[in-house]
Amino acid sequence: MKRNSTAFLKEEYKDLVAKGFNWQLRTLEGPSSPKCIVDGKEMIMLCSNNYLNLSNHPKLIEAAIQATKTHGAGSGSVRAIAGNMDLHFELEETIARFKKTEAALYYQTGFATNAGLIPQLAPGKEDLIISDELNHGSIIDGVRLSKAQRAVYSHCDVGELEKVLKEAEKKNPRRILIITDGVFSMDGDIAPMGEIVKIAGEYGAMTYVDDCHGEGVIGKEGRGIGAHYGIEGKIDVEMGTFSKGFGVVGGMIAGSRDLVNFAFNKSRTWLLSGSAPPATTAACTAAIKVLETEPQHVEKLWENIRYFKKELDSLGFDTGHSETAITPVIVGESHVAKNLSDKLIENGVFALPIVFPMVARDKARIRTMMNAGLTRGDLDFTLDKFEKLGKQLAIV
Amino acid sequence: MVKRIGFLINPIAGMGGRVGLKGTDGVVKEAKKLGAKSVAPFKAKQTLQEFLRLYKESEEIEWVTCKGVMGEHILKEAKLKSISIIYNPNIPTSAEDTKLACKEFKKHYLDLLVFCGGDGTARDIFSIVGTQIPLLGIPSGVKMHSGVFGVSTKATAKILHEFLSKNLIIGDVDILDLDEDKYRKGEWNIRLFGIAKGIIEPTYIQVGKSTFESVSDDSVKEEIAEYIEEEMQNNEDTLFLMGSGGTIDFIARYLHLENTLLGIDPVYQMKTIQKDVNEAMILKLLKKYKKCKVILSPIGAQGFILGRGNLQLSPQVIKSIGLENILIVSTPSKLKHTPVLRVDTGDAALDKQFKEKDYYMVIIGYRLSRIVKIQSNNL
Repeated sequence: MKRNSTAFLKEEYKDLVAKGFNWQLRTLEGPSSPKCIVDGKEMIMLCSNNYLNLSNHPKLIEAAIQATKTHGAGSGSVRAIAGNMDLHFELEETIARFKKTEAALYYQTGFATNAGLIPQLAPGKEDLIISDELNHGSIIDGVRLSKAQRAVYSHCDVGELEKVLKEAEKKNPRRILIITDGVFSMDGDIAPMGEIVKIAGEYGAMTYVDDCHGEGVIGKEGRGIGAHYGIEGKIDVEMGTFSKGFGVVGGMIAGSRDLVNFAFNKSRTWLLSGSAPPATTAACTAAIKVLETEPQHVEKLWENIRYFKKELDSLGFDTGHSETAITPVIVGESHVAKNLSDKLIENGVFALPIVFPMVARDKARIRTMMNAGLTRGDLDFTLDKFEKLGKQLAIV
Repeated sequence: MVKRIGFLINPIAGMGGRVGLKGTDGVVKEAKKLGAKSVAPFKAKQTLQEFLRLYKESEEIEWVTCKGVMGEHILKEAKLKSISIIYNPNIPTSAEDTKLACKEFKKHYLDLLVFCGGDGTARDIFSIVGTQIPLLGIPSGVKMHSGVFGVSTKATAKILHEFLSKNLIIGDVDILDLDEDKYRKGEWNIRLFGIAKGIIEPTYIQVGKSTFESVSDDSVKEEIAEYIEEEMQNNEDTLFLMGSGGTIDFIARYLHLENTLLGIDPVYQMKTIQKDVNEAMILKLLKKYKKCKVILSPIGAQGFILGRGNLQLSPQVIKSIGLENILIVSTPSKLKHTPVLRVDTGDAALDKQFKEKDYYMVIIGYRLSRIVKIQSNNL
């Protein structure tokens, strides 16, 4: 026998297990709700991106049921051939209205959006992609699929970004694409998008923002980073997801009609995957409509964020520089974060640790994500556990 | 598993500096006469104490050391238990004792050799152990340009802790040395002495959602080499001067180019046309080849690209090539510890030009670069 063709499957998995790097899948028994049953135990959920609890909103559920009844369970094809439904167009018109852009495009997932579109926007070695050093893995993978020159700038450092642009001018690239997360998932801080758009304009560079953690959270009515800085329609590609604040699943871009025409003709992920089923598509449309008509969800989310942060701070925890629904509780060394997470879970609070090399060695943390559906009582219960365990582990 | 760590103190390191002698090589008596006190044992003890505060499994370490002032005393003062003595130095100690001790260390399969001294000590140790034992230096000399040193006793303790906790890995580090005789006469001549094994920060890539793999330094250097190859192919009419040091040597070997580890080699159309050229030879080449680029990598602990270990690239050479034609390459792990590039060309006006340039785009991977600030040593 030449070689054992599949031996690596077991070996590499065993290696991951030995290092403790394998994922153990936990099971939600029932919906993803602010309080949910995880592996048989009721927990306060601080790890979900379902910020506004829209996944449980009756209007979204009803929209999904109705669309299934009228359009069936699946779409039958990729959109380019025979899987394009009126529901998809309706959703895209709704996105464009919500984002105040000319047009929008719905993708199967957020990852499919970044991996499909980025390498098309700047494909050649005569192009340049400039990326924030803390950008999300799906952006990094999208960039890897391109042959473009790549430059990294220090996190949110517009001065450095400008230097890269200045330097790039000398080589006169064909296209320049600046990519950043809108809200950074480890620290919850916001990219200085207003300044980035301004500088990009001066140098003739495109701007691309991944606003997955900003939608439903920042900007008026949760419209995202464009609204947050008052630059709606000025970002060339506003990319986002329906799987977080909107409570469903799928990716999207909002921008010019030219962008959308280009994107759906060129993104291989979009062209080569079956289109989203009617239920999901209709639920996404319903989610946006809920945001447009029921401001209380975003308001409640922010009320919870402010209260939780303020109380954590007054207990003496280091909550970093978050400006959004992601509040890191920075505890120092990795083992402390892991220990605190284990104990929180034992005590009915589902919160996971983030350790090196995801974050700096001495900045290991519990990453908490707030939910509009948590009551003051739930938050007090959670804070009480943080206080008790924080003292036990000598963090506060 | 029990780790075996060598421990060596050069008790006279740093004595010259306190009394203005710019180094201690060959002038110990004079230094003592001027009232110099031994600083190394104190620094070594500080480091060990900080290390013991951080690292909780120190019983798992076997310390292999020299008798008395060259290690034993301080290990015992720090209350470490598992100590084996492998060398008995002469009193007073000299560079010869360092070398003889290292010959013994080589027989003991050490995981690491921690030493306390300066560039001179690093040079003496490296001349015997070569790349056989990884080195970590506690800074205590007059000059600490070599890449084996932590920036302070506290930082060195942390590196040792992180290494034993398997967060840091073994990689290439530069050993530099200054010719002390020339230095005392006012002549600045820092040489790249060799490439030792030391402790470095790994480069990570994300492989799962929250799992990362550290990539070997070699694979990062391969990426950089592929980029340089493209640059050379795209610029067939350009002469490339390959700088000194481990990173550039790796790139050259990867591209099947003959290279001098510690020197400058001109490459034209993917061939090394001369070896280890000096300033005059470079100036002659620059007359012949109208287009020239020089490829440099930061050297030593402080991120110098010019003025340390590559004096052939004199101010005249650099002016003739032009600041815009300097390509700088570095592994991301090296940049982590030297976040600025430094120049010290010996020509104040040229140093000022670098300062005004403010930054370089440093190549850190295949078609991948990032901005790094330039700092001039003299401005």
